[in-house]
Amino acid sequence: MPREAEPSLNEKQFILQALQENLRLDGRQLDQYRPLELTFGDEYGVAQVSLGKTKVFAKASAEVTVPYTDRPLDGVFTIMTELSPMASPAFEVNRPNETEVLLSRLLEKTVRRSGALDTESLCLVAGQKCWSVRVDVHVLSHDGNVIDASCLAVVAALRHFRKSDTSMEGGVLTVYTPAEREPVPLGWLHSPFCVTWSFFGDEGETAVLDATRAEEQIRVGSCTISLNRHGEICQIAKLGGTPVEAVALLQCTSLALTKVKEFSTVLDRKLAEDSKRRDKSGRAAELTAENDR
Amino acid sequence: MPLDTSAYSLALLRVDGRRWNELRRIHAQIRTQAAADGSSYFEMGHTKVMCVVNGPSEPGPRRGGTAAAAPGGGQSKDAEVAVSIVVAGFSSVDRKRVGRGDKRILELQSTISSALTASLHTHLYPHSTINISLHVLSQDGSLLAALINAATLACVDAGIPMTDYVAACTAGSTSTYAANDESADPLLDLNHQEEQELPGLTVATLGDSDRVAVLVCESRVQVGRLEGMLAVGVDGCKQVREILDRVVREKGRRMLQEGTVEKGVGLDEMDMD
Amino acid sequence: MTVTAAPQAALSVLPRADGSAKYSHAGYTVTASVNGPIEAQRRDEHAYEAHVDVIVRPAAGVGGTRERHLESILQSSLTQIILVKNFPRSLIQIVLQIEATPENDYVNTKLVQASLNFSIMPALFQTAILALLSAAVPMRATATASVVAVVPETKSKKLVVDPSPRELEAAQSVHVLAFTSQGELLLAESEGDFTVEEWDEVYETAEDVCCKSETSKSDVDMMLDDDDDDAGPADMHQFIRSTLEDKVAADLHWK
Repeated sequence: MPREAEPSLNEKQFILQALQENLRLDGRQLDQYRPLELTFGDEYGVAQVSLGKTKVFAKASAEVTVPYTDRPLDGVFTIMTELSPMASPAFEVNRPNETEVLLSRLLEKTVRRSGALDTESLCLVAGQKCWSVRVDVHVLSHDGNVIDASCLAVVAALRHFRKSDTSMEGGVLTVYTPAEREPVPLGWLHSPFCVTWSFFGDEGETAVLDATRAEEQIRVGSCTISLNRHGEICQIAKLGGTPVEAVALLQCTSLALTKVKEFSTVLDRKLAEDSKRRDKSGRAAELTAENDR
Repeated sequence: MPLDTSAYSLALLRVDGRRWNELRRIHAQIRTQAAADGSSYFEMGHTKVMCVVNGPSEPGPRRGGTAAAAPGGGQSKDAEVAVSIVVAGFSSVDRKRVGRGDKRILELQSTISSALTASLHTHLYPHSTINISLHVLSQDGSLLAALINAATLACVDAGIPMTDYVAACTAGSTSTYAANDESADPLLDLNHQEEQELPGLTVATLGDSDRVAVLVCESRVQVGRLEGMLAVGVDGCKQVREILDRVVREKGRRMLQEGTVEKGVGLDEMDMD
Repeated sequence: MTVTAAPQAALSVLPRADGSAKYSHAGYTVTASVNGPIEAQRRDEHAYEAHVDVIVRPAAGVGGTRERHLESILQSSLTQIILVKNFPRSLIQIVLQIEATPENDYVNTKLVQASLNFSIMPALFQTAILALLSAAVPMRATATASVVAVVPETKSKKLVVDPSPRELEAAQSVHVLAFTSQGELLLAESEGDFTVEEWDEVYETAEDVCCKSETSKSDVDMMLDDDDDDAGPADMHQFIRSTLEDKVAADLHWK
């Protein structure tokens, strides 16, 4: 497979020199994100996030399955991340590389292990039937900071998602189709978001948010911090790289919290806008139904 | 809840009888395998790991499962650090088969590789690979920390130039994330039981400095707790570094006594500092 | 989801791929990226021509045999129109990411095993062609595809272009046909049972959808630019052509 082209020596020097003078190639502040765009699809549970030229698409889906025998009261929740050659020809199909493994582990820790989704509410009949919720993350275009974009897309898709309504009557479980009953949202507990810092310089003294692909290729280390807006850390991952002062990491965490609060507001606003849009059409649909009768 | 957290506040003693800032017994050996370029054995309480380092050497045919961080070890200007971890089936209470593609293991491998790459002088060995294979014999919490320490010792034994020791340990906090009490104490060096119940993090620092090479937190915790935990963790790393340093010096002295190595010019210099 | 909606397409939507396109029609939305010609892997390398690699990725769930089947159909027909002999020992990689499929509100679907069927073929085909054009991969002709289902009614049978999931369930047979811009038949795949007469009818309908203007009218120049004829999806060839014209016009606007 073709390898990803590395930035040339001149490019490296230029970017590093500029960063030392607190400048970035695209004119952003060091702690500034690229313009964030979040759109929902026509279906429930489809979210597309773009951060500059990075584009991520997430789709949530659910089906009824049998729960795991060691966890009879919990539903099944999986996050699938598979990077296709669409993001970069260096990715191969069916052969996970390091980026993919780290991305899926981070999303797993941030969203699944932090208990963002109430898996107990996915249980239908203890030990026999439960919902299996699944999110597929597709990276359409990789221009750096796929982690933050993917995490936002996953959380947005799950909060936007509606699963079919069910009822239990006399030991008979009925799963209603969307035509019979309006689908219901998932049991959601808190919304975690990832914020990734990239470090530059010999001692990792320059910390930068939302690195582009070129910046990612020359950084000496990175640290992904996942928080929710209540100030709870869900996960921190500084997996090696050049050592960074402990105090600097603490500063990064508190700055990350402000960014997470911004994300949270943006997502809440977008969800409200979307539900308003849907409600309008929902009422219109109701009206036509009445007229038919 | 198998761990009775209420007992801690009464006697200020943890389940295994330690105080908040005590490390477990650390036992370390280097040069345990004669055939390898470098090797070590590291115990942190009941967590026991073994490490073998081969290289720097010409990269052989690429095997799966290694962390290929640098694009193609053979072509790059720096040596590639390839880490492979084998978790023995008997290492923990439940015998769970760990597959080759297990993402948790892949993440550990990539973390250790990346942490050591930053400390080793890889630029001295272009077009070559340093193979680090780690074997987990017994698990009782702080696995990543033990692995990093063992890998550091083995790299010292292999004689690969490095800036300083990468020493690691874990730190935790005495109450769960939900309880927002200010009285929560930080804890040093978590065992398996504490790791399951309490929030914790793994820290690795470079030498005597406060510079953090690895910081992994996998549990939910209030952001205000981080500072205390990190401070305790960094302090623990310094203690671990002292222990590692002692082990290396002790082994060196013994080798000189036994005449395994001649007291050469290079070693003379080493004795002086 | 209205099935009669006119197709929509955008070119070069992904900044990092050599060529890309997004296409939505009849409830399907597909994004495609094309990279190539790039270095081929040893096992795919062909001494005299480029290897065309098609990857179909469903929006949810893992791909299975059905996706592999669609991939192989697409691969063999695209190999025919791409000038593969121009790029020996290289690879042209086409990734088709499905983003939306029309939902059947009356059935609860199983999702872990995504099972695509023929009705998505036109969307995949058109997107692939648009992305190839956007990547400037030399081709001997463009091509378009359409899907026609034979749906039984009480007495007779009815031909449905771009069938909905419910019509697809009721259909006796489903046919995918693709035509090149010269009006040649490039691909014909059918499933279900049908008679030769039915197939002839299907052929004519599909040809109508794909390249009506070439066969019926001699001067095709400007007449398709008026957009009010989207009652029936007028003609796929003209659609692809006008999409490209728009893109070229927009890109060369500064001139």
